Amino acid sequence: MSITSIFSRRTARAGIATAAIAAAVISLAGCSGSTPSSDTTPGDAGAADYGTVNLQLSWIKDVEFSGEFLADSKGYFKDAGISTVNMTPGPSTGTSELLSGKADVALSDAVSVGSAVSQGQPLKIIGTEFQKNPFTILSLGEKTPLKSPKDLIGKKIGVDDSNTVLFNAFLSVNGIDPKDVTVVPGQFNGPALLESGQVDGYVSYLTNEGIQVELDGYTPVNLAFADFGLPFVAETVTVTQDSIDNDRDKLVAFLKAEVQGWSDFVKDPQSGADLATGTYGKDLKLDPKLEAAAATAQAGLVATDETATNGLFTISDELQQETIASLKAAGITTTAKDLFDMSLLADVYKANPDLVDYSK
Amino acid sequence: MTALAAPAAVDVRARRREIRSTTLRAVGRALGRSLFTAVVSFVIIVGVWFSVVTFFGVAPYITQNPAQVWNYLFTLPSASANRELIWGQLSVTLAHSAFGFVCGLVVAILVAIVFRVSRLVEAAFMPFALLLRSVPLLAIAPIIFMIFGIGSQASVGVIGGIVVLFPALVTIAFGLKNASPTMIDVVHTYGGSTWTVVRKVALPGSLPSLFAAARISVPGAITGALLTEWLSTGDGIGGSANKEIVTGQFPALWAAVVVVTLVALGIYMLVQLVESVVLARMGMATNTR
Repeated sequence: MSITSIFSRRTARAGIATAAIAAAVISLAGCSGSTPSSDTTPGDAGAADYGTVNLQLSWIKDVEFSGEFLADSKGYFKDAGISTVNMTPGPSTGTSELLSGKADVALSDAVSVGSAVSQGQPLKIIGTEFQKNPFTILSLGEKTPLKSPKDLIGKKIGVDDSNTVLFNAFLSVNGIDPKDVTVVPGQFNGPALLESGQVDGYVSYLTNEGIQVELDGYTPVNLAFADFGLPFVAETVTVTQDSIDNDRDKLVAFLKAEVQGWSDFVKDPQSGADLATGTYGKDLKLDPKLEAAAATAQAGLVATDETATNGLFTISDELQQETIASLKAAGITTTAKDLFDMSLLADVYKANPDLVDYSK
Repeated sequence: MTALAAPAAVDVRARRREIRSTTLRAVGRALGRSLFTAVVSFVIIVGVWFSVVTFFGVAPYITQNPAQVWNYLFTLPSASANRELIWGQLSVTLAHSAFGFVCGLVVAILVAIVFRVSRLVEAAFMPFALLLRSVPLLAIAPIIFMIFGIGSQASVGVIGGIVVLFPALVTIAFGLKNASPTMIDVVHTYGGSTWTVVRKVALPGSLPSLFAAARISVPGAITGALLTEWLSTGDGIGGSANKEIVTGQFPALWAAVVVVTLVALGIYMLVQLVESVVLARMGMATNTR
């Protein structure tokens, strides 16, 4: 009898243990199952968790990304439900990173993206930071000033690999045979190459190298792309069609935080320069004078009459057509419908009409 | 050598025949060895390539497998245009490589001769050659461009030359030093100078080292050319590679890399073949193996 009782007790104990384990397993499964479900529920905007966004920057972490720095440091990304934004510095056009899945969003330019789109790659521009592109062929008044596109003939021009498509577009729009210009690859060292006389011109940013050489005591001479047949948008928020289809809410949330960050920048450009020199680009030992001057110049590219009416990041139909025409002149054939998808930005402003007027 | 063994006319003919048959055998062996090496390398490269592309989970947008490269070059409608593009880049790269190769090898031979003649010069200049070797080329490239001009032909020769120079110099200098002491004694006995020793004994005797130097310099010269193209001239395969990455033209990039690799392998084997013919003809063929 005692034997059976022990036996039965044992069985009972084993039964309890099994039940306990089963319960534990079920609750574990429940936990792991509940996590992603809270991820994907768009439910209330405040509680939404979109996880991480990998952002490919077009350039080093300088004042060019003030809006992102502000959105990150002021918690706009977090408020929008994006826990982390991993900013990977360039220089890069971002197209390879997007298409290979290394980046979710890339800040790029319309020509590089258009070039990929015309080759059938599924990329879309969903907004832009710079209404006017700041690309220029910079030369020095003291060395060989290049005042018109014809001056390029017979000269040596430094072009970073990521600007190759742009430079070829510039030549073709202005009717210059690429054979007449000596192109040498730059390693993002434009001012040094110009000042030492190794190149006559360098494809630069009006808001960066142009200011740099001025601070170094030279007279910058610019052939701005926007003034010589190539108006197009730059620092475009670029994504893959796939993420528009599958992660639309996340992208809209990201755009909203971006608009907030850049609104703060337009109100106070110096705050962006400070974040660049003091926090995000600290390791780069940026020149505070250069960053401050660049910030002011840059604000004029971000905020225009167009954005005053329709909000930051807008790309008007007119600007879209201008961009397409610039691309066409450069031998890149695509349509506004294939290149732009402004519906996500429209969603942002529809849900947050107060963001349109960024001067408030 | 033949002169010493020439007392009887019959011997000369026999010796010639012997040399000819040795030459033929050496060439045959070299051809066989080259083909075997080529097949083995090809199988290994394609195998590693397929498995990396398949198992490492790299995005398909970036990667191309061997079949895709084949299609890009031969079966796609744009294949002939593609071949023309790659051929254009390749011919530029080969011209740059040849220039760097010649610059490096000529300097290496001259310096090795000077080293052989004067030990003092060797002691003084070897550290300089070592310096060129031990400082990464990428680090001194900007200075080289500053001196010789970015995008200039001189920069091609200098960068390519530096890559080729050191291994070639060490190999050739070693060969020059290893001349047979008996032969050197013969020259000295007849009143010959050190220079005569170099000319009559050391240089011909160093042919095996010279060829070894040429062989190892082939891949070096191509590497040097690609580096210069990337940093200085911006054309050829080296100059196009980064632009193709930036503009997403990965099929062209992969095809170019494959073609330049195959060509490097081909030239290497060609030099190996010439080497075995010449050495056999000079009676220096290694009959062992």
